[in-house]
Amino acid sequence: MKTLIKLESVSKHFGNFRALSNINLQVDEGEVLSVIGPSGSGKSTMIRCINLLEQYDSSGSIIVDNKLVKKGKALREVRANIGMVFQNFNLFPHMTILDNVTLAPMRTGGLSDADAKKRAHALLEEVGILDQADKYPDQLSGGQQQRVAIARALAMEPKAMLFDEPTSALDPEMVGEVLNVIKNLADRGVTMIVVTHEMGFARQVSDKVVFMDSGQIVESGTPSEIFDSAKESRTRDFLKSVLSHEAYTNKR
Amino acid sequence: MSYLKLISKFFLISIVALLSIAQSYGQDSDNQVISVGANIGNVPWEFQDTKGQLIGFEIDLVHKIASQLGKEVDIVNIPFSGLFSAVQSNRIDIAISSITITDERLKSVSFAQPYYDSDQSLTIRSDSSVKTVDDLRGKIVAVDTGSTGDIWTSENQQKYGFKEIRRYEGITPAVLDLEIGRTDGYISDIPAMQYYTKDKPNLEVIERIKTGGSYSMMFSKHNELAVEVNEVITSLKRAGYINDLHEKWFGTRAEASTSTAKTTAMPGSKEGVILNFVDTFLNKEVLLTTLPMLMLGLKTTIQLGFISIVLGLILGLALALLRLYAPYVVGFLAKAYIDIFRSIPLLVLLIIIFYALPFVGINLSPFYAAATALVIVSGAYTAEIFRAGIEAIPKGQFEASQALGLSYRHMMIDVVLPQAVKIVIPPLTNNSINVIKDTALASVVAMPDLLKQATQAQAIAANPTPLIAAAGIYLALLLPLVLYVSHLEKKYRLREYA
Ligand SMILES: Nc1ncnc2c1ncn2[C@@H]1O[C@H](COP(=O)(O)OP(=O)(O)OP(=O)(O)O)[C@@H](O)[C@H]1O
Ligand SMILES: [Mg+2]
Repeated sequence: MKTLIKLESVSKHFGNFRALSNINLQVDEGEVLSVIGPSGSGKSTMIRCINLLEQYDSSGSIIVDNKLVKKGKALREVRANIGMVFQNFNLFPHMTILDNVTLAPMRTGGLSDADAKKRAHALLEEVGILDQADKYPDQLSGGQQQRVAIARALAMEPKAMLFDEPTSALDPEMVGEVLNVIKNLADRGVTMIVVTHEMGFARQVSDKVVFMDSGQIVESGTPSEIFDSAKESRTRDFLKSVLSHEAYTNKR
Repeated sequence: MSYLKLISKFFLISIVALLSIAQSYGQDSDNQVISVGANIGNVPWEFQDTKGQLIGFEIDLVHKIASQLGKEVDIVNIPFSGLFSAVQSNRIDIAISSITITDERLKSVSFAQPYYDSDQSLTIRSDSSVKTVDDLRGKIVAVDTGSTGDIWTSENQQKYGFKEIRRYEGITPAVLDLEIGRTDGYISDIPAMQYYTKDKPNLEVIERIKTGGSYSMMFSKHNELAVEVNEVITSLKRAGYINDLHEKWFGTRAEASTSTAKTTAMPGSKEGVILNFVDTFLNKEVLLTTLPMLMLGLKTTIQLGFISIVLGLILGLALALLRLYAPYVVGFLAKAYIDIFRSIPLLVLLIIIFYALPFVGINLSPFYAAATALVIVSGAYTAEIFRAGIEAIPKGQFEASQALGLSYRHMMIDVVLPQAVKIVIPPLTNNSINVIKDTALASVVAMPDLLKQATQAQAIAANPTPLIAAAGIYLALLLPLVLYVSHLEKKYRLREYA
């Protein structure tokens, strides 16, 4: 199977603070990778390095689709090949839902107006909000906005998708609709890295789970290797604390 | 409509209030001290010696007259074109500045009997090819705003084919531009120019222009002081005192037939009407005759304002982008530019551009000098407005654009700037209002904008109506913009809370 994303001894410093140290990671085509770990452990920083929203230290390297991710002319192409979905949606508030989705394909994908619209319609249909196409972002619920953001990222037909806690900013009743959309993408075979606090979801959709702490990958494995028989005590402690919390919220 | 009525009513009431305050001031000090307005620098009539002491023919005369009346003198420096409103509003009791008695002026002010017979003169650079007024065809002529020279030059513009008349507020700036070569001749009172050019070999008074004016002191209409002063002048002439002054300041005695030596009657007031408030400040006749001049000024003001606003916007946007995103050195330079030009008063910058740059070979016309100064300063302000607008755009908008692979250009054009524009429209409109108001400063570089035209018109008509009309025009121009800003601000506030 082809390797799509590869991180080799990637580190990242913010000034003197070391946010990532020596990360090695590999995602194959069609693979779904979940990243879990406590707050501040470097999950966001890691996936933001993949499309160079953060510049990683020069000691390491990141390869996407056989191309080194670095500043320069080729960067835009690499970025267009990786869709990203943010915790806070980051939709363009001055554009309609449809325009949000068609902008990038028309400006950088070289699609005609009509083709971009056709593609946008199909994607909005897939995420279930075609009927909202002419509205503005602030007229939609959080769950709907995040689904638009997913459609917007997919519109560039990326080779992989990055999700940074896509449901953390949502009201609990909207989490399910967004997770469902992501799950359908996974079923369709879209390669993705998902940073998430939803352990049930991670277990259900992932091919591989990575646990991070203090800027390091502590442990990685299949969902059952991590959730049922973690080798590291840090992993077990973390899972215990979130699962008891989840149990508590579910009981309510 | 009723709104406009309300505004004009408010405007009127404010003027009345201000006027009565001004009047009461004037009258309070009336008893012991005579307040005298003079355009200081008008040699040899009223100017400062090297020690800063006020001296001159008319300074000597007014002190002598006051002492005869048992009063003190307080001298206030007022530009020539401001003297007319100053006496009419009783801010000063007497105006001196070699003021020519004209029938037009006698309609709204009083004069004592004349004490000097004058003509106009043409002054040129000694190396100039101009030798007579006829040589000024197609050339630029300098005058003092609203002076006899201004009136004569305006009336004869067609006849002699002057290309343009530049209007200045006094000898110094007018002569400066003549020396630089911005103007080709300066038409002004002959005694002043003869005295001024005495020790300046680069200037030459080459022609007397017979306008036959006589100078005297000016008062508000029907002012009793005018009669008292007139009587003192009669006795001073009989005693030979005024001719002594002539000898002191011009080196020779005046002929017996001139008004310096011979007593004459006090000039009668014209049309004998007592000018009430409306006739003085809202004189329909004056308004109608000066309106074409004001419209010309309005056109200049609008052209200057429009060009300065548009270029200032472009410059400001470029500076803001440089400051935010350019490499360190360029960004620093942009910031330095913005900080410096927000600190320099526009008037200072304008004077530097107009009067100092010619010495390094950059010689801009009044219009371009004013536009340059306005664009430079407006660019600095709009840069800050754009920067604040761009910085108000959340970081996530930039990141989402980058993650989609948008180019820098498309990120700015499609995502960032459209959002920033909404934020910056109200402050940008405010800035545009300021730019239009600041165009009035261009009158100091002899540019015929609305204010300048109004000043000239009121000096010629000796009536402040054109100034009031100009205020009304500015109001009509700017009030809609002001209301538009409030409307926008309200609208965006509502949307935020929606
Ligand atoms: N721009 C930055 N400058 C300095 N420090 C930063 C910056 N961004 C992140 N950090 C630090 O790097 C560490 C990792 O942050 P990161 O956001 O990657 O954590 P995370 O695992 O995503 O946490 P969370 O679950 O809260 O999102 C944190 O200690 C954070 O404070
Ligand atoms: Mg994070």
